[in-house]
Amino acid sequence: MAALNIDRIKFEQLINGDKPVLVDYWAPWCGYCRRIGPVFDRVAEQYSDVLEAVKINIDDEEALSDEQGIDIIPALILYKNGQAVASVVNPSSKAAIDSFIAENMP
Amino acid sequence: MTDRIYDVLIIGGGPGGYTAALYAARAGLSALVLEKLSAGGQMALTNQIDNYPGFEDGVDGFELGEKMQQQAQRFGAETEYAEVYEADLAATPKAVKTSEGEFFGRTVIIATGASPRELGLAEEQSLVGRGVAYCAACDGMFYKGKTVVVVGGGNSAAADAMLLSRVAEKVIVVHRRDTLRATKIYHQPLMNAENVEFCWNSTVEEILHDGKVTGVRVKDVKSGETKEIRCDGVFVSIGRKPATELFEGQLHLDGNGYIVADESTKTNIAGVFAVGDVRTKRLRQVVTAVSDGAVAAFMAEEYLA
Repeated sequence: MAALNIDRIKFEQLINGDKPVLVDYWAPWCGYCRRIGPVFDRVAEQYSDVLEAVKINIDDEEALSDEQGIDIIPALILYKNGQAVASVVNPSSKAAIDSFIAENMP
Repeated sequence: MTDRIYDVLIIGGGPGGYTAALYAARAGLSALVLEKLSAGGQMALTNQIDNYPGFEDGVDGFELGEKMQQQAQRFGAETEYAEVYEADLAATPKAVKTSEGEFFGRTVIIATGASPRELGLAEEQSLVGRGVAYCAACDGMFYKGKTVVVVGGGNSAAADAMLLSRVAEKVIVVHRRDTLRATKIYHQPLMNAENVEFCWNSTVEEILHDGKVTGVRVKDVKSGETKEIRCDGVFVSIGRKPATELFEGQLHLDGNGYIVADESTKTNIAGVFAVGDVRTKRLRQVVTAVSDGAVAAFMAEEYLA
């Protein structure tokens, strides 16, 4: 299943839920973001039992992205209990995303 | 292990890799593409490709990559999103260790491509995304109304400078020679652009920053004098380096690290072929990469016969 694009309301709901949330901040004009897309969908599927993997289009959610300190994309941020706990910028492979999750999801 | 043995193991999912997969699959060979991120390779970062025949209005590189992948998969080729850590090309079957486990191939086609060459300056890597960039089409939009430096004088530097001149307030091209190496078609538009300046005979010595890039220190290669240029971003466009570290010591590489292989795509190891940008060749383009892919699949078929 493809990772869903969400808005602020859904974002606030999710990060305050029980499951950790991995957000892919992206924009349609960002080449590196598009390259991560297919692999991020794969990640969403693979880890669906333990985390919610979703996407936020920074052009659609400008204020939210600013609040979250996004000035580089693609950026993946992991949230637990409503807090951002780890982030990675422009991971270069699915393996890099896998190890980011492994390091931050003990 | 048997379910992980393929007739053709293809490393890299750019145009060369997926064309090899297409031709191999259509020849009745089992084929697996190992791709670390997404189909298309470098091509996937190009918004508009105007020199691939058949698309009179140009074609988006990312979409073209996905189409090549789907086309190969339609005939039975498979894809694994895996990063390759180690390859034993002389073994029988040839063995490749990846983030998704080990895979084996009776033949291996290397289509790992090339990536932007770095300046090699201290802190360059830590400033990527904080002002240092290698792809104007990707990151240019962050520099709307700002001042950027483009390092390089070849075709890609000229294309980057042109693209950035439409977004940024000012573009300064820093080049170590006194003239562009880029094809003539780029010269006049660049010279005519009002917000493009040139800093000739100069190399970048240091990237200045306060956590984010604030400027560069350049050195005049003739006088040896240095000066600082204030800027918000540095786009490095000084050529490419082939992704061949994995094969050092096994395959013959030329002085720049490219795999030595002629039009046959054969390398010095029997049953191992090199296609696309990673191979020694005169012209590195999507069309020449797909051509290599077809040839390599044919050579692999011949080798297996």
